[in-house]
Amino acid sequence: MIENSSSLLSWIIFAPLLFGAVLLVLPSKLERYFRTFALVAGVANLLLALKLWANFDGFISEMQFVQLVSWIPQLGISYFLGVDGISLPLVMLTAFITPIAILGTWPKDFSKLKQEKFFVFMVMVLQTGMYGTFLACDLFLFYFFWEIVLIPMFFLIGIWGGSERVYATTKFFIYTMVGSLLMLVAIMWMVYRHQQNFGVPSASLIDLAKLQYDFFHNGVCSAVFSEQGLLFLAFTLAFVIKVPMVPFHTWLPDAHVQAPTLGSVFLAAVLLKLGTYGLIRIAIPMFPEAASYFSMMMMILGIIGVIYGAFCAWGQSDFKKLVAYSSVSHMGYILVGLFSFNQVATAGSLYQMVNHGISSAGLFMIVGFLYERLHTRNLNDFGGIAKSAPIMAIAFMILTLSSVALPGTNGFVGEFTILFGTFQVRPVVALITGLGVIFGAIYALKAYQRVMFGPVTNDHNKHVADLSVREFLAMGILTVFIFGIGFFPNTFFGKSNSTLDSYSKQLMEKVIHE
Amino acid sequence: MNSVASLLEIFPIPTLTSEQSVSLLPLVILSITAVLVIIVGAQKSSDKGRTGAMLLSLFGMFLSATVTYKTFSFEQVDFLSGTLLFDYQERILSLVLHLCAVLGLLVNYGYDKREELMSEIYGLLPISLAGMILMVSTNHLLFMFISLEIMSLAIYVMVAMRRNSKFSAEAGLKYFILGGLASAFLLYGSALLFGASGSFNLVLISQSFERGVSPIFYVGLMFVMVGLLFKVGAFPFHSWIPDVYQGATTSVTGFMGAAVKLVAFMALTKVSLNLMFASTSVGNTAIVLVVGGIAAVTIIFGNFVALKQNELKRMLAYSTIAHTGYLLLGILSLSGSPANAQYIMIYLVLYAFSNIGIFALIVMLEKSGSKDIVIDDLAGLWNKYPMISIAMTIFLLSMAGIPLTSGFIGKYLLFAAAVSAKQIVLVVLAVLASVVSVYYYLRVIITMFMKEPQHGSGVVVASKWIGCGITVAISVFITIQMGIFPAIFIK
Repeated sequence: MIENSSSLLSWIIFAPLLFGAVLLVLPSKLERYFRTFALVAGVANLLLALKLWANFDGFISEMQFVQLVSWIPQLGISYFLGVDGISLPLVMLTAFITPIAILGTWPKDFSKLKQEKFFVFMVMVLQTGMYGTFLACDLFLFYFFWEIVLIPMFFLIGIWGGSERVYATTKFFIYTMVGSLLMLVAIMWMVYRHQQNFGVPSASLIDLAKLQYDFFHNGVCSAVFSEQGLLFLAFTLAFVIKVPMVPFHTWLPDAHVQAPTLGSVFLAAVLLKLGTYGLIRIAIPMFPEAASYFSMMMMILGIIGVIYGAFCAWGQSDFKKLVAYSSVSHMGYILVGLFSFNQVATAGSLYQMVNHGISSAGLFMIVGFLYERLHTRNLNDFGGIAKSAPIMAIAFMILTLSSVALPGTNGFVGEFTILFGTFQVRPVVALITGLGVIFGAIYALKAYQRVMFGPVTNDHNKHVADLSVREFLAMGILTVFIFGIGFFPNTFFGKSNSTLDSYSKQLMEKVIHE
Repeated sequence: MNSVASLLEIFPIPTLTSEQSVSLLPLVILSITAVLVIIVGAQKSSDKGRTGAMLLSLFGMFLSATVTYKTFSFEQVDFLSGTLLFDYQERILSLVLHLCAVLGLLVNYGYDKREELMSEIYGLLPISLAGMILMVSTNHLLFMFISLEIMSLAIYVMVAMRRNSKFSAEAGLKYFILGGLASAFLLYGSALLFGASGSFNLVLISQSFERGVSPIFYVGLMFVMVGLLFKVGAFPFHSWIPDVYQGATTSVTGFMGAAVKLVAFMALTKVSLNLMFASTSVGNTAIVLVVGGIAAVTIIFGNFVALKQNELKRMLAYSTIAHTGYLLLGILSLSGSPANAQYIMIYLVLYAFSNIGIFALIVMLEKSGSKDIVIDDLAGLWNKYPMISIAMTIFLLSMAGIPLTSGFIGKYLLFAAAVSAKQIVLVVLAVLASVVSVYYYLRVIITMFMKEPQHGSGVVVASKWIGCGITVAISVFITIQMGIFPAIFIK
């Protein structure tokens, strides 16, 4: 039986909520200090996360810092937390992105704020949901947090979003609900199967991993309608909607464009990773045979995402939409990497999750800076800003280079590892995916050129204020990570190696065994 | 003297043990309360009458709840070989019903004066409560009929109590006529079942299957089912629900929707357990098909029609039809294991408090007169009444089945039970349909939080009645508490 070793993870999950509860009782007179309060909360959580990082043993592949408390014992549901090499980088990503995002979206004019208390409270709840999803080791708990993430995001987009915010937020909510409710049915079936096989119900991921589900290889129809096929598809649908994979991506541009900058940053940096995290944590290891059977399909959809997303991004005149489509493209790599069933590519996918979190968060913040200064997102209205705001231009350049995966930046580490690993098993797939890197460079450099260089078409662009100290700080930290991961990936991801090793080994055994 | 003696011969006074009499005491208290309340309420000053009646009624219900609580230490108490059975489950349900009735009563405070309700409403509540308690404790078809009538007649009157609204009278009449028809079905069905098996007692009927199942049994079962499906508002028998929800005295609607549904579904559960799924000789597959079909159509119909409603109460009425559909899935899950009955019960209880809570909010928001709240009226509510908006959001999210609320737990348990009975297709259909429900619940939330009031109309004005406030607070507490720590409630 697993021993409770620590309550640190609970602290990480619920500290934001505690801060949020304190916030609720603060009088509204202090409105202008609520962001500072959120920043303090974010930093406090970062410290907790750093403590986790420092004490995490990189040589253990199993769950660490486990906390297991019985919750609904009658149904085998427990409050079961744990962290391993796969969830650790994502938790750290969330912990770092939160203060950076709050710094980078600091409001200029506190008198124009709308319902500041509720806003900050929703950001707090969102953090609890995100940490909880990454740290849950019980399927029911996972689902619980997975859904909780929806509610603050729904309000963030719906209340503080752009002009089409109601449409965008409804679409976002409904899309995600469709997938997750089917996942819920799948969870119920797994818990029931555990009860049938072992006599007691259990929703713990570790217990459920012992189950074997029927799978038939003869023909697509029997594969889809076998037990494992259906379960895999139910989970995968929920996850790929969140990723988002083409053709389930249409909510993303709407949600991103309408969301306030802070919402966009969280959405791109962390929420999309919930989908790929679900794939790597549940869909693939629990249903390995079905996953390997459908791997080609998933990879093709991933490639379509890479290339289609890049072309869509290329065609956009709205800067924010361009960045949103670039997310579709970059997340495609992760899908390809995950479903190539290669140890290197799986590791690359994990790196890419973190790297995309960093670069997309930065790009959305740049969009936010420009929008705050010029009140437009149209690429045609920009131009020549590099002259008036050189530091912003440099920060944007670094982020662009990270996004196009230039060697020496973090983007290169992720995408190259994915392509390298995929090439070993599926050279053709890797080749086609590699084309995406070129397309990525086309749209990213186009955006950079249109915004920063070129003739000044708009008089306002001559006097764009450069980055403020807070914004500079946010960009500076991101830059440190971009180059840090780019040059010393092992310092950042070394603690994941042993988990990734055993993860891939177990997966290969199961797939090849069939 | 002679005649009394012969009467005693025919109807001997039963000798009751102390436990039996204490178990019956709540019913006695409630009946006496009802009579006293009606007498106290008959005063010249209707204000005084109402206040006195309300306090007395509250006192009576508290007393009866206390006695019920005391009976928890007893073993199972049985009357006339299972005709009335007071066991743990019955006592829990009885307490829950007491709480529902108390909350339903508090909602009237303030509202009764504005809408000029008669003080009798406070006497009718304990009567209907007594009927409900009787209904959840009986296994006997005739008792079921009688308790259903005790409960329903009181509720028909309460529904029509809002005398200055013509819709209220219409609702009461419609409910009464259709309800009477349903009761007739139930009674006739019971007679046929008696003919087929020689007993009114559900347990005895199920034992009679060993001697073979007569065709009349199926006719009787069908009639009984029709009667009960009417009461719960399943698809072909749902037509009364929207009009009654819309027209009924608003302060009663929440209690009616919650408690009547709870009680009727408990009766349906008993009938299903004992008659449909007790023995293989009844022929499971056909029944499962029929009930499953009704469930599927009810879910789809309720959700899709609710989508097009503009009035809040009508939308909730159609959504309650959808919830009936989900609960029918639970009834189907009984074919897998009788233990699944508790999940139906939990869902009903959790749903009851969301329903009572949301209708308490509607009572506060409603203007005097017959105009109903259109969803668009709620625009800008969040800025004016943040607490009301948050409470409303919690109830709506609970009905939509989003985690952190009791509705999610209820749905999870119910659907998990249905999954364990291998009703996967229906469960998938139900969850997909509940995505539709998410849309119309969200619509209300979006209007409250994200829309500005239209020019000229202004934000609705909420009446801040303390009774409604208490009801909402208790309902919110239960909704959140059960949403996070449900374990204490599951066996």
